[in-house]
Amino acid sequence: MSETAGQFDLERLLSDALRPIEPPENLATRMETTLSSIAAQAAAELSSWADELSEGELEALRDPRNWVRPVAAAAAGGAAAGALVLVGLSRKRSARRGGGRLGPLDLWR
Amino acid sequence: MSTDAEHAPQSSVAPPVSKAELDRAFEDLYRAHLRDVYSYAYYRVGNHHDAEDLTEQAFLQAYRHFERARRESDGRPLRPWLIRIAHNLASNYYRDRARRPEANIDAVEPPSHPHDTERVAEGREELREVISRLDELPEDRREALIMRFALGMSNREIARALGRTDGATKVLIHRAIKQLEESMEGREDE
Repeated sequence: MSETAGQFDLERLLSDALRPIEPPENLATRMETTLSSIAAQAAAELSSWADELSEGELEALRDPRNWVRPVAAAAAGGAAAGALVLVGLSRKRSARRGGGRLGPLDLWR
Repeated sequence: MSTDAEHAPQSSVAPPVSKAELDRAFEDLYRAHLRDVYSYAYYRVGNHHDAEDLTEQAFLQAYRHFERARRESDGRPLRPWLIRIAHNLASNYYRDRARRPEANIDAVEPPSHPHDTERVAEGREELREVISRLDELPEDRREALIMRFALGMSNREIARALGRTDGATKVLIHRAIKQLEESMEGREDE
């Protein structure tokens, strides 16, 4: 933007007025401490989880042949959840068709 | 401003696989943009105390979603994403506490003219006026100007931070400058 009738150059003024602000030293230190402790906590949680498993369990986890059971269990769980959703939907549909009981606020049905 | 950092590791290297690598990448991002986030927070909330809290919250939230953001950024700089987090937090800050930004210009020093004290005083007064007029702008216009002038963000970066198109952002900035200019001209006529 150019000078407006020699009065002021707004973009220059804005650049001067809105100069970047250096964060206080203590903020940087505080942030780094917080982030390091979060990272350390996450790492500790992971390692304690691994420590809780016996050597045999860890071995078993590494063997791909043992992955079939958890995957099958997850699939079965997913299918069951899907079935529940379908049952719920079909109940709602039948209720909407008039099969459901009327509630005290269903005045227009 | 932080332009080098924008093209630092996060924009050119494939997403890291290990937690350690991810933490290192986040540390780079944090070091590169701490001043940007703090400056943005400061100009939004108007005081150092709340700006510190807001900056801390913004980085903690960024840390939680960093892996996903890196994956989805597709190599683009993450500064707009960070500023967007700070923007959302600042909006909540006003909504929750029903506050308006304070026109605190303690940290705003006028450009130095060591041999001309009168000009220093005039400069300070002018800057005070700009900050005060800036606070009267609608929030989106004020924010766009903060991003442009305090953080040196490009139109495209501002667009990403505000979730707008490039064209809409260009218009927003143009209107913000025009409104501020008119407001300043009005002051001179007063």
